[in-house]
Amino acid sequence: MSSEGMDGPKLGFSFDLYSRNDMLTKKGLKPPGYLKTGTTIVGLIFKDGVILGADTRATAGPIVADKNCEKIHYMAPNIYCCGAGTAADTEAVTDNISSQLKLHRYHTGRESRVVTALTLLKSHLFRYQGHVSAALVLGGVDVTGPHLHTIYPHGSTDTLPFATMGSGSLAAMAIFESEYREGLTRDEGVNLVTKAICSGIFNDLGSGSNVDICVIEKGKKEYLRNHLTPNPRTYISSKGYAFSKKTEVLLTKITPLKELVDVVQVGGDAMEE
Amino acid sequence: MGDSQYSFSLTTFSPSGKLVQIEHALTAVGSGQTSLGIKASNGVVIATEKKLPSILVDETSVQKIQVLTPNIGVVYSGMGPDSRVLVRKSRKQAEQYNLLYKEPIPVTQLVRETAAVMQEFTQSGGVRPFGVSLLVAGYDDKGPQLYQVDPSGSYFSWKASAMGKNTLYTFSSLYTDDMELEDAIHTAILTLKEGFEGQISGKNIEIGVIEADRTVLTAAQIEDYLQEVE
Repeated sequence: MSSEGMDGPKLGFSFDLYSRNDMLTKKGLKPPGYLKTGTTIVGLIFKDGVILGADTRATAGPIVADKNCEKIHYMAPNIYCCGAGTAADTEAVTDNISSQLKLHRYHTGRESRVVTALTLLKSHLFRYQGHVSAALVLGGVDVTGPHLHTIYPHGSTDTLPFATMGSGSLAAMAIFESEYREGLTRDEGVNLVTKAICSGIFNDLGSGSNVDICVIEKGKKEYLRNHLTPNPRTYISSKGYAFSKKTEVLLTKITPLKELVDVVQVGGDAMEE
Repeated sequence: MGDSQYSFSLTTFSPSGKLVQIEHALTAVGSGQTSLGIKASNGVVIATEKKLPSILVDETSVQKIQVLTPNIGVVYSGMGPDSRVLVRKSRKQAEQYNLLYKEPIPVTQLVRETAAVMQEFTQSGGVRPFGVSLLVAGYDDKGPQLYQVDPSGSYFSWKASAMGKNTLYTFSSLYTDDMELEDAIHTAILTLKEGFEGQISGKNIEIGVIEADRTVLTAAQIEDYLQEVE
């Protein structure tokens, strides 16, 4: 990253290495892949607040990199955000904005609002022109009521009563579209979200493992980590693994490499000219 | 920056080896409203008098004791606006540390960084030193801590300290090494009362308490404590 001849602060990405990378790609070097979450994330508004749900599988290409990762990120005591896309991007962007919201709370002395988080996130993503690959479902309850938004990697947002994102979004949306109603109770909402995530887990390759839920109501929140674990590991052998000894021992002989010798002074000085 | 006549530092050494502006800044602190802090065995208490210019001022809108992080609070003596700038900078530094290390900033680190800011303003051109002394009180894994930071940028760790006008050293008679927090709060109120002009009440003092698991600023039970002290 060059620093000479720069006026003002550096904003956005530095594309200094672009020509080098281009040359390397032409020569046949494959660029390193990044960890995509390949996800099902959902959110819905119920009678008293917002419920967010997510699966827990993180993929690196065809391999499951993390069987139990956390996709529901903390933004503020009353706001949580689910992230799909590149895991590092969702982590970094939610951490950054969460930090900004915290400072803002100290300065204003007030609870953070969901629209504040929304605006900070979308401005950040727009500034990076879609290169920050984070698709988010943001939900929370503030003084103005419960809110649910989706944010796309390029910086556009939607405000919805129920939303899904990620590779399993179609499977989850099918469940929501057929069963969502206004004014659901907490338990009905949690069951519906669980059903939608399970639909993603079982029908989408990019999603799997467990269901995480976060219920946010006015003045309180419940983070239900691994609310449902429909994919337990069942094949561990109870006998353990024992390998038979294939080689017979015929003779054991131990030869020390060094001999311990006692030095005794007979007479006179050891060091004599 | 600016004319050559004004582009020298206000903090040039005097022939006697002192920085006159810093001395004046300390005078500004010394004529500010009294504030004090006491470190107990299980927490820290900071307190200050909150004398408002008129009874018409809404005292709930004035907050002299501020939170820097969930476990560090600060009180000042001297110029209020200067303290606001420092509080803002300190909060940002604490948050940046947290973002970088995913760890709440230790009290000593925050004090050091705040002191560095104050020192910066004693060695730059076209600026003046801050007219405040801060009492930073916090609780981290090293236990309860109390630090004083001066306009020069020097900082000291105290078991008990007072700044501003009418600072009496009644601490030395009341303070014991393994004081409990409740006793410390009573001592703080008694000490404030000594130099108080007028009638002390819950409306014209502020108390902040930092314990292992919580930071309570402006205790709502000040009136109760005041009655206990009577």
